[in-house]
Amino acid sequence: MTFSALSDPTRRAILARLASGAASVGELAEPFAMSLPAVSKHLKVLEHAGLITRGREAQWRPCQLEAGPLKDAADWLEHYRRFWEQSFDRLGDYLHELQGNELQGKEKRDGREDEH
Amino acid sequence: MDARTSTDVAERERELVITRIFDAPRHLVFRAWTEPDRVARWWGPQGFMTTYCDMDIRPGGTFRVCMRSPAGDEHWKQGTYREVVEPERLVFTFAWEDAEGSPGHQTVVTVTFAEHGDRTELTLHQAVFETVERRHEHQRGWTSTLQHFAEYLAENR
Repeated sequence: MTFSALSDPTRRAILARLASGAASVGELAEPFAMSLPAVSKHLKVLEHAGLITRGREAQWRPCQLEAGPLKDAADWLEHYRRFWEQSFDRLGDYLHELQGNELQGKEKRDGREDEH
Repeated sequence: MDARTSTDVAERERELVITRIFDAPRHLVFRAWTEPDRVARWWGPQGFMTTYCDMDIRPGGTFRVCMRSPAGDEHWKQGTYREVVEPERLVFTFAWEDAEGSPGHQTVVTVTFAEHGDRTELTLHQAVFETVERRHEHQRGWTSTLQHFAEYLAENR
């Protein structure tokens, strides 16, 4: 859900704005050529994904960034990088081993031929 | 021309890219990716053992692989091959399974094998934040956005 919420450029811009502090719906709508209901719709998606929370004060209801899911998303790349780097270390060793065996096989065969 | 270039930049920003040169001929490296008993020898972090490896290597074919951690935990990965071009290119979807065996967030992995004499340059692209359907949507700034958040979060700990 984090990723689909993050897939929209407007929602990412909203999150980037919230990274510098809490803001009202009106403040968030300002930079976009967008109606308040349209912005509210984006905020609902973000809230549903747990990426933001909204204050309960009736008038202002400031939106705030939630750290957890964003941290997970940022960790995702790092998680995969480690997974592949370590796999590739093993692949390198395995290829080395394979060629060592092939080479040895060849040398043995050559050796036998030399005996003639 | 300019649009094409910026798309490439955008693509790069939201993909994991790893390049590695292997001291082995290309056909051998490709086989290590496409034969189950060979894949089982290396695919997974250090100390992990592949305990199940089923791969149907053809476009539309699926794979399902289980690796066991040194602590004994099982991790299942699965996906579908999109392109199989021997010996130069592999494209497949990739997802970890949850405890019920349902795939989690799907990513798209593209592996290219380039010949450099007796060596092989392998490049892995992983579109981490996209599904196949979203692949051609051009949205910018993934990684930098997340980087920005990561820095923000670090500062506000």
